[in-house]
Amino acid sequence: MLPRVLLCGEIEHVQDECKKMFHGIAEVIHLVSESRSHFLSSFGPGGPYEGTVALCRRNTSSEVIGKFDAPLIHALADTSMVRWIAQSSGGYDEIDVQACKERGILVSNTPRANEDATATATLYLMLSCLRHFSMAERSLRSGTWKTPFNAAQTHDVTGRTLGILGLGGIGLRFAHLAHAFPMRIIYFSRRKAESAPDWCEYVSSVEELCKQADILSLHVPLNPSTVGMIGEKEIRTLQRGSVLLNTSRGRIVDQEAMIRALEDGHLSSVGLDVYPDEPRVDPRLLTFPRCTLLPHIAGESAKAWRTIELQALGNLRAFVLGGVGEDIVPELRTVIGNSTTL
Amino acid sequence: MSSRQPRILICGDLVWAHEEARQLFDGLADIVVMDSPNRADFLAGLKTRERYDGIVGIYRHNISADRIGVFDEEIIDALAETGTVKWIAHNGAGYDQIDVFRCAKKGISVSNTPGAVNDATATTALYLVISCLRNYAWGEQSLRQGTFKSVLNPGRAHDVTGRTLGILGLGGIGLRLAHLVHAFPMRVVYYSRNRSANAPEWCEYVDSVEGLCRESDVLSLHVPLRDETVHLVGEKEIRAMKKGSIIVNTARGKVVDEEAMIRALADGHLSSVGLDVYPNEPLVNPRLLEFPQNVLLPHMGTENQDSQRRMEVRALTNLRDFLRDGQGNDLVPELRSKL
Repeated sequence: MLPRVLLCGEIEHVQDECKKMFHGIAEVIHLVSESRSHFLSSFGPGGPYEGTVALCRRNTSSEVIGKFDAPLIHALADTSMVRWIAQSSGGYDEIDVQACKERGILVSNTPRANEDATATATLYLMLSCLRHFSMAERSLRSGTWKTPFNAAQTHDVTGRTLGILGLGGIGLRFAHLAHAFPMRIIYFSRRKAESAPDWCEYVSSVEELCKQADILSLHVPLNPSTVGMIGEKEIRTLQRGSVLLNTSRGRIVDQEAMIRALEDGHLSSVGLDVYPDEPRVDPRLLTFPRCTLLPHIAGESAKAWRTIELQALGNLRAFVLGGVGEDIVPELRTVIGNSTTL
Repeated sequence: MSSRQPRILICGDLVWAHEEARQLFDGLADIVVMDSPNRADFLAGLKTRERYDGIVGIYRHNISADRIGVFDEEIIDALAETGTVKWIAHNGAGYDQIDVFRCAKKGISVSNTPGAVNDATATTALYLVISCLRNYAWGEQSLRQGTFKSVLNPGRAHDVTGRTLGILGLGGIGLRLAHLVHAFPMRVVYYSRNRSANAPEWCEYVDSVEGLCRESDVLSLHVPLRDETVHLVGEKEIRAMKKGSIIVNTARGKVVDEEAMIRALADGHLSSVGLDVYPNEPLVNPRLLEFPQNVLLPHMGTENQDSQRRMEVRALTNLRDFLRDGQGNDLVPELRSKL
C-alpha cells in the first residue's frame, strides 16, 4: 500500500502535475475535516488520514483547522506517521517550528518562488505612496477628478534613500528594481550580506537604517525575534514625512504605533500588503487617504502560484522517495542527519 | 518714450520657481503676471497696450486655458499684433494647446520642456504597467470594499518579468520607461517614425504600428498629439494585439480611439487599460469605470513637487536664453527647420 500525502488546502494550479508526480509513489488525499478536532482524530486506524506520512499545507487551511501551533504539532506527532510538513509559501510563521524540532517533524517552505512577484509589489507600493497614485485613482473613480490630490506633497522616486530591513532574496530583488531609477539603497541584516552589490550600503543597526531612510521597506520573516520589531522607537527615528512599506508579515510592525504616526503625520503614508490579523483590516487604516493597501496579493500571480505549488509538492515527493526534501526551513537545518526515513 | 526693460508675461501662475524667476530675469526683463479672468479681457489688454504693453516673451502653462482658453489662432494673432511678442516658452512636454503653425507664420517662436518630464511620466507609466498586469487597482478596491482578496482571480495576475512591452514613440519618456522595465527585465520592442539612434541594443525596432501591436503584451503610448497621431491606435491596431493585452496611455487621450478601446474591454480582447489621459479631460467616459481592472489616473503624469519645480525652471530658462542670446534651447521640432 502506498504511503499517503495529505493536502491541507487545495492545490489549484498544478493538479495534473501533482497526479503525475505522485503516480505510483504516494496516494494524494484531501482535507475533509470541518473542524480541528475532527482533523486531529482522523490519523488513526480506520480514520480518513490513516497512513499519511507528509502534509502539504496552505495558510487557508487555518480557517478550518487553525494554525499549526504547538498543541496541533504534538497531536500529529502522537497520533500520526506525519514526519514532513511542506508549507506552500515563503512564510511559515503559522507553523510552530520549535515544536516540530522537539518532535522530529521536518518543515519545508518555498523560498524564492515568489521573490520577483513580491519585490514587484513592493515597488508598486513605493511608487504609489511617493506619488499618491492610489489616492488619485480613488478620487477619479469617486467623480472628483484630482481633488484632493496635491502635487506639492508628492515626490520623485529618483534620488531618494530606500532603507531595506533584511537583504534576503526579496529585499535584494526589490533593491535591484529600485536601483534602476536610481535610488540610494541602504540595508540592515543580522549579518552583512556577502553577495550584496556595492551600491547596497550596509548600516550597522535598525536605528541607523531608520535615521537615514526616506522609505523603509520590511523584508524579514515573522518569528519570535521579529515580532513588533518596528515599534514606536523605530518609527519615531524615521524622519518626519517618511514612508513605511510592508510586504512581509503584519505583526512585524506595532500597528498601534504605526497608526499614531499616520494620525500625526510623522509617517506621510504606508504601503501595505499584509496585516496582523488577515483578512481583517483595521478600519482606521482606510481613513488615511494617502495609503496604498493591497489584500496580501503581492506574491500572487498565475506563474508564482504554479512555482510555489510545484516547489512544495517537489519537497514532499523527495521526502517520500528519499527521506528528505529540499528547502528545509533555516531553524531546522541542523536537525538533518537525524533519521527521518519511513 | 519709456526706456524701461522689456517685459515677460507669466501666463499660468508659477508654483515653485518664484525666486528662480527673479534671479533669471534680474537686469533683463520685468515680470508681469497675466491676471485676466477671461479671454475677452486678455485680448483687450493686449490691444490697448496698457497692462500687457512691451511684452517680448511669454511663460505659458496649460492652467491658463481655464481662464483664457488655448493659444489658438485668435490669441496667436493678437500676440503677433503687439509687434513685440516673439517667444512663447511653454511649460510642458505636450504643447498641443498652442497652434505652433500659426506661430511660425506670425514669426513667434515656441519652446517646450522636453526631458524635464521624462522621469516623472515614465514612473507613472511604470505604475500603470505593473498595476494592470497584477490587478492591483482591483485588489485595493476589493480591500476597501471589505472583501479583502476574495473577488480576485490569481490566474488573471501576471508577472512583469519576461512580458513584452511595446513602446510607441521612443523619445525621452519612452526611452526612460524602457530603462525602468529593463531592470525586471521585460522584453522591449518599439516603433518610431525613425529608428532611434539612442536606442540601446536590447530595444528591438518593429517597422509598423500594427507590427508593434502584434508583438506586445503591454502597449505603452509615448507620442505627442498632432493631426497625424489622432487615433493612431484604433480598431485595426487594437485587434492586431493578442487577446488579453493591455494598453497604457500617458501621452494624450486622443491618440487612442476610445470607442474601439472600450469595445475591446467589453469583449475581453483587452484585459485592462491603464490611463493617465482622456480625450476630453477632466471628463472621464463613465464606461471606463465599469471595469474594475482598469487603472485610471487623473492626468498627473508629471506632477510632483520635484519635477514641477524643474519644469518651471526649464521653461523660464528657455525664455531667459531667448532674451539674452536670441534663442532658447528647446525650440519645438516643428519650428526647427524654420531657422
